[in-house]
Parts: sequence; C-alpha cells; structure tokens
Amino acid sequence: MAQRQATRGNISLKGSTQLVTEFFKYAVNTILFQRGVYPSDDFHMVKKYGQTLLVTQDLALENYLDRILAQVNKWLLTGSVTQLVLAIIAKESRTTLERWVFDITLTEPPSDESAPTHSKPESEIQEEIRYILKQIVSTVTFLPIVDEPTVFNILAYTSESADVPADEWVDTDPLAIEASKSQQVKLRSFSTDVHRIEAMVAYRYDG
Amino acid sequence: MNFTNFTRTPKTPTHGRSRSTARTPLSPSLAAGLNSLNISNSSPTLTRKGVPAGDITNPFIVNSSKSRSSSPVKRVTAGSGLQVNAQLKRQASSGVIRKGGPESRLDVITLDYHAPRPEAKRSKSQSSLKRDKAFPREPSVPPSGNADRFISSRGDIDVGTGYQPAPSSADSSPGHIMRLAEATGIPLNKRILGFHEAPPPPSSDQAMATQRSIIRPLYSRTGTAGSTGATTNKSRKIRTVAERILDAPGMMDDYYINLLDWSCNNVVGVALAESAYIWRGDVGQVSHVTEASDGHWVTSLKFSNDGAFLAVGFSSGSIELWDVEGNRKLRTMNGHQAQVPSLSWHEHILSSGCHDGSIWHHDVRIANHKVMELLGHHGEVCGLQWRDDGELLASGGNDNVVNIWDARYGDVTPDTRAAAKWTKRNHTAAVKALAWCPWQPTLLASGGGTGDATVHFWNSTTGARLHSLKTPGQVTSVKFSPHRKEFMSTHGLPTNGIMVHAYPSMERIAEIRDAHDARVLYSALAPGGEMVATAAADENLKFWRLWEAPPKKKVEKPKVPMEESILSLR
Repeated sequence: MAQRQATRGNISLKGSTQLVTEFFKYAVNTILFQRGVYPSDDFHMVKKYGQTLLVTQDLALENYLDRILAQVNKWLLTGSVTQLVLAIIAKESRTTLERWVFDITLTEPPSDESAPTHSKPESEIQEEIRYILKQIVSTVTFLPIVDEPTVFNILAYTSESADVPADEWVDTDPLAIEASKSQQVKLRSFSTDVHRIEAMVAYRYDG
Repeated sequence: MNFTNFTRTPKTPTHGRSRSTARTPLSPSLAAGLNSLNISNSSPTLTRKGVPAGDITNPFIVNSSKSRSSSPVKRVTAGSGLQVNAQLKRQASSGVIRKGGPESRLDVITLDYHAPRPEAKRSKSQSSLKRDKAFPREPSVPPSGNADRFISSRGDIDVGTGYQPAPSSADSSPGHIMRLAEATGIPLNKRILGFHEAPPPPSSDQAMATQRSIIRPLYSRTGTAGSTGATTNKSRKIRTVAERILDAPGMMDDYYINLLDWSCNNVVGVALAESAYIWRGDVGQVSHVTEASDGHWVTSLKFSNDGAFLAVGFSSGSIELWDVEGNRKLRTMNGHQAQVPSLSWHEHILSSGCHDGSIWHHDVRIANHKVMELLGHHGEVCGLQWRDDGELLASGGNDNVVNIWDARYGDVTPDTRAAAKWTKRNHTAAVKALAWCPWQPTLLASGGGTGDATVHFWNSTTGARLHSLKTPGQVTSVKFSPHRKEFMSTHGLPTNGIMVHAYPSMERIAEIRDAHDARVLYSALAPGGEMVATAAADENLKFWRLWEAPPKKKVEKPKVPMEESILSLR
C-alpha cells in the first residue's frame, strides 16, 4: 500500500512538474511579448489552455529558454527551487524595471489517514493558468510604458543544497528594485496537487 | 609525485606555509639564492623543477615569492582541486562575492591568520569551520603580533586585481549577518542563480521592427494590393461606384454598435445619433421613428423577420418596439443596465446583446418579456445573429470570443441553455461581424476587429474552423450572397473598402477601396440579395449593386427603385 502510494506520488510530482514547467514557458513568452523585450514579429500564435498565446519563433531565444527550463524542471523534481524571477532590465542603464516573481511552494502531502486525496482536475488547473496568463496580458494597462530597449534575465532561487550544473548557473545579483521606488502587484495563483505557484509583479515607479 | 626526490620538504604549500611562518625565518643567504633563480616560470611546479638538485631551497619560500606575480585565488584553488574557469575569475574581479557562492568554497586566505582576539573563535560561522577542517594541521594563532608575510603580500595583489575578499564571518556577528541579509533581501540559506549566458539579442533589428509595426496597419497587411481604387475579377465585372448615395448626418463612428438594417419589405432603418429613421425604398420616403432620451443615443436597430416591427436599442439599456407600418410605439422593454449594441430576431423572440456581456431573450408578446439570459461573454456583445431556422444563435464580443448557442427557447434544461455550444477564441480582437450562410446552414462566418482583421469560417455542427481569410483591415461586417457562393465584407482603415470573395476558394472577386471616406461600419443586405447598403462615419449611406440576381429570377427585378428621395441625392 505504502509502495503504491509512493509511486503514485512520484508520478503526480512528475506530471505536476511538467505542467509547471510548461506554464513557465508560456508565461515567460507572454511577458517577453507583452513587455516588448523582443519585437512582436518574432512571435507566432499557438493554441494553448483554450486560448491563443504568442510564442517566440526566434530559434536562439527558443533554445535559450529550453535550456533554462530543462534545468528548472530538474530542480522542480528535487523540490529545490523556491522562486523564479524574470527581471526586465534597461539595456543602457542596467537598472531593473520589472521583476516578475513566481513563488513555488511544494504543497504538503496529505497525511496518510486522510485517504481521499481528491486530485484536481486538469481542466481546473488549466483555467487557473489561463487566468494568470490573461492577467499578465492585462497588466499592460497599469505597468509603466517601457520605451527603451530592454533585456531580460531569469533568476532561480534555490536551496543551498541544490544541484547546480557548474558552468551553467552561477550565483548572481538579485536584481532587486529599490524598495522606495517599487510598486508590487500580486497576481493570481494556481496550484496542482503538488505545487502551488504564486505570481507577482514588481515594477519601478518613481511617481 | 616526481619532485619528492628533490627535497624532503612538505609537498603542499599549505603545510609549508604554516611551518615556515612559525619556524623558518627567511635568511639573507637564502634570499640571495632566490634572487639568482630564474623567475620567468610562472607556475610553482615549474619553478621547483628549475631549481638545481643540489640547491636546498625551501620550496615554500620559492613558492611564496613567485606567487606575487599570479593571483592568490588561482594558486590556492589549484591546491584545493577546485577548477577555476574564466567565469569565476570574471566574477571575482567584478566584486560579486556572496556567502555560499563559489568564492566561499575556495578555501582561501581569509582565515589563515587568526587575530588574537578572543571573540574570533566565538563567532565562527559554518564557513570558517569548514576552513579549519581543510587545514587540519594549521598551528594555533601565532602569539606574536608580527606582520604576516602572507597578509601583506595579499594586500598588494588585492590592489592589483581589484579583488575584494568577502567580509569574513569572523569579524561580523550572526546578528549583523541577519540584519544584512534582511536589508539586502538576500536570503541566508538560499542561492540566487542566474543562467551563465545572457539572453540572445533579438534576431531582427528592433528599430526596424518598430518602424515596420508603425506602418504595418497601412501597407503591409496581407491582401493589400497596389493603390488602385478598385479591383475586380477578370471574369466578373462588379460596379465599383455606388448606385446611390444618401446623406446620413450624425452617423456615429462606433465599431461596437449596429445602426443599419434593411427589412424584407424594402425598408431601410438607420439611426443617426439620438434618432432612428426609416427610409422606404419603394417610395423613397423618410420618416422619423423615435428619439432617445436626453444624453442617450441609439445603439442598435433591427427589423423583425417579417419586416413588420422595428426594435431599437438605446445606450440607456432600454429597447423600444415600433410598428413600421403604423409608425407607432408598441412597447418599451427595460432591464439592461448598459447599452444594447446588438439585436437579433427570431420570430417573436428578440435577443439583445448588452455592454455587460449578457445576452437576453425577450418574448415580445408577453409582459414579463425576459425569458432567458445567456452569460458567456466578458466583454460587450457587439455581434449577434440568429440562424434562419432559429436553432442556433451566434454571438461575438469585445472579449474576442465567438459563441454559438444552442439557444432554442423552451424544451431544454436550463443548464444546456445557459452554456454555449461552441466557444471560439481564435480571434485576437473584438468580433462584430457575424453571418450565417443561407445556402449551407452549418456555416458561420465571423470577422475580427483591427488587431485581428481575419474572417474565420466555422462549421457549427462539428465546431471546426473551415477557412480563414486575412483581410487588410478591421472587419466590420460580413454578408453572404443568397444567390452565389460568395460573401462580402466591409472594412475599416486603411482601405475603408468593401471586398467580395468566393467561398470556399477565397478567391477575391472584387475590392472597392475607399468606398467611404471613413471606415465602413455598418452594412445591410437588400431583400433581393443584389444590393448592399453601407454606412460610415463620413455621414453617407451608400447603395452598391454587388451581385446580380440569377437569370431565371430576373423577372422579379429588384424592388429598389432608385427614384427621387427626400434625403439629399448627390
């Protein structure tokens, strides 16, 4: 019995990791498109989560994101990543303009006696994801207009013990925005049986 | 190791260093011997090899003096087996040093001299303990306050390379670190990792792309040909000038509303700002129908299928029903809280789309007129079309969604009635243009707004998308020809045109560019199916003969006599 439960837990962790990784892919693409980090010509429409999303078709960027997401996937499986941050940085001044923060928490496995672990239907998860992506799209209404060339950077907050492939990932600056000049907006969250993702955007606002 | 035979001195520099510090002061003679050495070799190993066998030089001394030329990081890491790559070096020189980072694992320098302060040991943190393990034979703190060679030499190198050692945990209390961590937002037991590569630059030039995106709505849309005013297919000739132009002062320029309709009795209904008028095609007579209350205007207008009644929707949310023949108001139906931009009839059921995204069915015969509410849009419902048989209702909204409702009123459960049969999210802009095909009942055409400018064709039975057609500008209306396998569409900027395409080949039959001086917003098909009326914000109402009736029906002749009208004729 314990054996079976363990394997099932394992499988759902894998599935959930897959879902979360996929979500990051589309979220990152959506942000890069919406915030104009890459020219809109580089994006094409795909159907996903019951809506059309824009995904880059720039091969170099695609490969870059794939390599990052592959590592994120590994970290998710070991549960060693706690936060992913997509920072949008002004190209000239190197100041951080926006930080898109995705908090990842492993939801506690239910205790053994409370057997009825009702698993969340995929459609419900997809709906939650759809709402987050829609929210990302709608943030253009309040985020300050970015009228300078920008670059992005993806940071992963991992635990001290995380396996880090040498040469690929290096300790880095948090690219934080000064607290006095930062506004934060909490976005929706979604959760699978295993993971819970909370999204937040912080942006520079010198009002 | 091959140099054990040279000397009996310890192999590891670490060991040697500590010993020399404690017990082997540098003698002048040895220093002289040192100076005579060939110092062009950069690595300590090579230096040792270069020393003659008979020379009893302390290798440590050689080591330490040589090391002044190379960075201390490099030397020590070579000893501890940690690979120093270009990345680490770059990082070190940029001054990014963090607890838990690779620097802290380098097992270097910071603690090989213990100041004789009593609190130094008390506040040792994890990393300092680790270092103690790495140097197990390190002697206890030298009691004398003598200047340590290593510290002084390191100081020199630090200045040279810009290397700044991390604040050693020995001189900062845990509380200080906690406060520091809190202030900088760097969690203590976490690592912040970034991918080693910078993201690739956009492959296409950003400036050019911006420029292109600015001019794109004008010139680079697909389906835009040269700048000739009109094109028609070689085999077919379609008159590209309007047959008749009527003045329509006060025509509103609003994509989301529907202000033009043509009844089966050949009566054209048009709304100009706050008033609604009808124009009787057979006699060319205009009559004023109704007027909106103060501060409101007409937002939609639709004849019933038998042409006897006219429904008028207002920005206030109320809907009026008028008898066309008698020109009298039959009733007012209130209830909507926002403007009513779209109306569609099926027999006695009048469906109305509201700004708030709801669609109501009104049974116009009964006092309690609201019989059903359909909730499936999050944006204004600007397109609404019943299929002729009344089995399906298509709706398009400002949320870019096309819904097809199995909206038969009556013998179905509330659940099925309230949910859309199909929800299509392919459009990327508001959907106003909707048309059911008269000769293929399952075929629905829908056209999107400026950001989309695409006409999609749907099979309402299977839900499949059959065809898509990119057009040069926002699609404001779509109409199928009842006689030919063709459809027409009206467009906004940049062409302000009318296009006729064949279905299903999507071959372009005709295009009338600049049909109006402003975007063509509303269109209505004549009862005969030959003429199309269009209206635009240039305050003109134009009639176009797009399709000839099939030859056998030519006897009937269009019922639209183009005689005088009391509206000004140009």
